[in-house]
Amino acid sequence: MMLDGSKTSPVKRAGWFALALAIVGISLWVAFTAEPKIVTDLTNATALTLAFAGLVVLTHYLGLLSLGQGALVGVGAYAALHVVNDLGAPVLWMPLAGLLAGTLIGAIVAIPSLRLPKAYLALLTLSMAVAYPIILRQVDGNLPVTLDGAFVAPAWTGIPENDEHIWEFFLVAAYASITIFLVQGLLRGPIGRAFIASRDEPEAARAFGIPVYRLRLYGVALSGGMAGLAGGLMMVPTNFNDYTHFPEELSIKMFALAMAFGGSRLISAIPGAIILIFLPVWLLDRNWVVEYGWVGLVKSEGFIYAALLLLTAYLTKGRGFMSLFERRGPKTQTAPANKRVTSVVGAMAELETQLTHVEGLVADHPDIRSRQDSND
Amino acid sequence: MSLFLQRTFDSLANGSAYAALAVAISMVFRSTGVLNLAQGQLAMFSTYIALVFATGPSPYMKFSSNTDLVGAAWPVWGAILGAIVISMVIGAFTERVIIRPISADPVAAVGATLGLYLLLGAFVRKQWGGRTMFLGSPFPQTVDDRWDIGGARLWHDSVGITLTMIAVLGLLAVLQRRTKVGLAFRAVTSNRTGSTLVGIRVSRILMLGWALAAGIGALAGGLIAGEINVRPDMMGRLLVFGLAAATLGGLRSPALAFVGGYLFAFLETMLGGYVSFVDSQVTLVWALLVLIIVLFVRPSGLMPRTEAWQKR
Repeated sequence: MMLDGSKTSPVKRAGWFALALAIVGISLWVAFTAEPKIVTDLTNATALTLAFAGLVVLTHYLGLLSLGQGALVGVGAYAALHVVNDLGAPVLWMPLAGLLAGTLIGAIVAIPSLRLPKAYLALLTLSMAVAYPIILRQVDGNLPVTLDGAFVAPAWTGIPENDEHIWEFFLVAAYASITIFLVQGLLRGPIGRAFIASRDEPEAARAFGIPVYRLRLYGVALSGGMAGLAGGLMMVPTNFNDYTHFPEELSIKMFALAMAFGGSRLISAIPGAIILIFLPVWLLDRNWVVEYGWVGLVKSEGFIYAALLLLTAYLTKGRGFMSLFERRGPKTQTAPANKRVTSVVGAMAELETQLTHVEGLVADHPDIRSRQDSND
Repeated sequence: MSLFLQRTFDSLANGSAYAALAVAISMVFRSTGVLNLAQGQLAMFSTYIALVFATGPSPYMKFSSNTDLVGAAWPVWGAILGAIVISMVIGAFTERVIIRPISADPVAAVGATLGLYLLLGAFVRKQWGGRTMFLGSPFPQTVDDRWDIGGARLWHDSVGITLTMIAVLGLLAVLQRRTKVGLAFRAVTSNRTGSTLVGIRVSRILMLGWALAAGIGALAGGLIAGEINVRPDMMGRLLVFGLAAATLGGLRSPALAFVGGYLFAFLETMLGGYVSFVDSQVTLVWALLVLIIVLFVRPSGLMPRTEAWQKR
């Protein structure tokens, strides 16, 4: 894990730059050449990357379990649609509405549950995942709610009016990239290190003055906000929402994928989002369950996710497959390069030597100790 | 008054199911520290096993070997007992093979229980499909099988389910308090290292805890199946109420979880009955809201505060 604050080597930096370029290049190529359906799926996957990234923050940085991330995405979608339909806000405000709603609901669930053992957060979020479709059905009814607005590409983009899916993809990708960049920056700094400390050694973290409860609360709210933002962004290409869109199975699948593929970098959220969106499409094309009977079960979605969860639990102890490729153990210790640090370390070593010498003197002259005791 | 009495009676059967699941969840969490999210699915799966026993040779049982294994249709009681035995074996197997190797990592253990949750769901959907099936109640269930008390109807099967659950959980309490196995179980839940040092076979006790929890879940599933019918998603709602009830017991007290089960069922029925904008589906949401409020006000649930904090 890159958690020691050390600087990235130039080779690694170049590698990341190449990867980012490759992702941008592939995205451009797909956006302009693929069928609209695939581009829309890719847009949804890009939006969901944010929800997965939020889950990665929770599971891999804070060691908390959330089984209601799908419901928080749904909350964001609901807020995004209604802020436009009911309040008449511009469509570009939709992601912001999703972000606020997700943050708020995440915090409301976290406030009571984080005061208790970690299992309570899992319990409450699972309950939220079950309750969300029921509430939405009660509030919005059985029929889908459609967005009263449209995303039209500005003239300067040169994107034709009937190719709005390309503009929607770029819009969502821009939101997602900026958010991931900002949150990754946050996690690489003191806040990220405090998250790790509160995960691994909460008592020691408290002793060092880290407000563990408040920090976890911020973490859950951040994660909820990212899920809500994802929900708001998903409404950009989808334009409608109903109670079947975000069932409790979605939350469990998201947890499974975040657990399996999540890691210490938010970019690890990408595989989860891609699999979640494209696996059903791939399975539906083949219809294995119908064609191959019991053999098909192995290729059914529920079985695949179950196997993924069990394999992650066994092979990686819940840390995810990315952890198999991360550095194990501490880095080799080298002398600090900073001159001031070197001098402080040297002075401390000298002080320790003198203290040992004084202790030896005291041991050799018991009268000194008795005089000291009487003075005390 | 008679309406209030009727609603109270109506909450009994559901309350028994919630209480049983809550007790099973509390037992597992108390002994192993693992929140078993597959408890409801295990109960659902065992209900299908009871269905196989009770149906006997049947066209919608796709296992051809079932007919040889089960033979003629068993009475519902026998079918539920058979399912309980098989569920206990599955529970013990789950602890030994799935949970024990990873029990040191709570995230991995919860992930494994979720994996089991999905696996059982996928298996049942593959084997029996998503359609509703009928197991029937082990108690008389005709329109005449009731007592009229104060203008309200108290159905025989509701009383039967409630008394059965109370009897089984009473037996469980006796097992825990009056037998050596129970003493060992209490020792393990209190101090696992100390129990190992005094010669208690901790792994066997934990396995027994999982087996008992699976058995209680199977009983709950078998009994409630007569009320709600058998479907792959039959336990989703029950699991949420069971989890909520277990929370009221601080996740560690089976007795308080039991009380919590009946409290939530009572609350569910009363909210659905007396509050005009709360229909039967939305009672779940209000119950969850109550749970959140309870956790805000009293994080330890019904458990005495000092005890709850000691056990964090």
